[in-house]
Amino acid sequence: MSEKTLMAGNIAIAEGAILAHCQAYFGYPITPQNELLEHMSKRMPEEGRVFVQTESELAAINMVYGAAASGCRAMTTTSSPGFSLQQEGLSYMAGAEIPAVVVNVMRGGPGLGDIGGAQGDYFQAVKGGGHGDYHLITLAPSSVQEMMDFAMLAFELADKYRNPVILLPDGFLGQAIEPVVMRPPVTKLPEKPWAITGARGRPKNIINSFAMDPVDYQPHVALLRQKFQRIKQNEVRYEGINLDDAALVMVAYGSAFRSAMTAMQMARQAGLKVGIFRPITLFPFPVAPLSNLSQKVKSFLVVELSLGQLIEDVRLSLSAEAKVELVNQFGGVPISADEILEAIEKIMK
Amino acid sequence: MHEEITIGGFGGQGVLFIGRLLTEAAFREEREVVYMPAYGAEKRGGTVWCNVTISDERIGALFIARPTIAVAMNSASLNRFKQTTKADGLLIVNKSLVPETVSRGDISTVYIPANDLATEVGNSDIGNLVVLGALLARRPVVSLDSIHQIMKDSLGEKQQLLQMNQKALEKGYRWTKKEYTG
Repeated sequence: MSEKTLMAGNIAIAEGAILAHCQAYFGYPITPQNELLEHMSKRMPEEGRVFVQTESELAAINMVYGAAASGCRAMTTTSSPGFSLQQEGLSYMAGAEIPAVVVNVMRGGPGLGDIGGAQGDYFQAVKGGGHGDYHLITLAPSSVQEMMDFAMLAFELADKYRNPVILLPDGFLGQAIEPVVMRPPVTKLPEKPWAITGARGRPKNIINSFAMDPVDYQPHVALLRQKFQRIKQNEVRYEGINLDDAALVMVAYGSAFRSAMTAMQMARQAGLKVGIFRPITLFPFPVAPLSNLSQKVKSFLVVELSLGQLIEDVRLSLSAEAKVELVNQFGGVPISADEILEAIEKIMK
Repeated sequence: MHEEITIGGFGGQGVLFIGRLLTEAAFREEREVVYMPAYGAEKRGGTVWCNVTISDERIGALFIARPTIAVAMNSASLNRFKQTTKADGLLIVNKSLVPETVSRGDISTVYIPANDLATEVGNSDIGNLVVLGALLARRPVVSLDSIHQIMKDSLGEKQQLLQMNQKALEKGYRWTKKEYTG
């Protein structure tokens, strides 16, 4: 089954979730992800699954918490201001080890911001936007195909680690239409013996993120730490393009990566040896691959749609003598290949 | 081949619609394609645009800064495209609504009275299809047949509407062949 079809990014996430056997969807409208919610409102009932348009993003994240605690695959989708409202729920779910998928189709901020695409929620997603010690696996798609594929992967990783997973595209990717190869549906779901399903005939399961006494809670957080270590060891994903002979490597994800691709092609035509390193997991960040790369390459250019957030993780990963520059847009404005090429030429001349 | 097409006009002129037609046709012809629309506060009467990139290779940027083909359905769009259109590019202007001309020697231009020609086929609102015909007459980025087929597939039962759309497309194509390629 490799049927190819044209699809918008937002729709590809919805269809990916359905293919991954998402059983319950809860969401509240916000641009630029409204098509996703709208599509789910039609498709989930068609599949005999649960769709709820909630009264707020807060309600949505807490309904996801409840649904996922009962063992079903659950999801909510939103955009930046809504994602802020969901941070408390994400912290509780990370604490209670609840697997679920949360999509943030990022828009311009801070505040209510605007409805253009942006990457200003990077810190919020990968550094833990809620309280306490936790991490969320964060996937950054850069094409409509990856919107579908990573929606499916997100459910798989959420269940594998009993942890919320964030899908973090920007608004431009949500609106873009590209060809997509349809994937086969997931037919076998993992067992969830920890889930709250009614305790008849077995000891009761307790799901919470609270203990009165630190003596009781600290061992739990220590277990979470072990889990985050396993995630860092096993789940790092990235893509390298033209790295073999590169004198300058751009680091970018999402729609900024797409513009960087075009800038790289233009630079190569002008004889400039430029490559791209694209983190696919923003958490776990590909620290070691970037560190290794900086043994060879000494010049890096971070391309992002924020005032400079990804660049901090890049700096922390590189060897001390590597030089890192930033070319960016922010506040909901896309970055053009021309702007990036200009920055490349400035560095390489 | 690699073409970066941008189309701009008033909301309601069918700018996004012909962008979608080009995208669907390129997809059916098994090319790489990206469609990026303006989104948000667009409304009838406001200015709206879309980008369509068609290529034989993996496509990078979602946005087009310097189009190889630009279509200006209103004056605001022409003001933008007259500067941004790439050297050796093609600029198509809807003469029915845009009185201005462009003085650039490094691009080709087509000034087509799209709404007037559309009126001749019976519906002044479908100047967008006239313009699409003009585009394909000068740059066959997809085949005219693909567009016909897509319209047929989507309008199949609405015969009258289909025929009018097909006439408008053909009208723009033939008019441009006659006036510009002689």
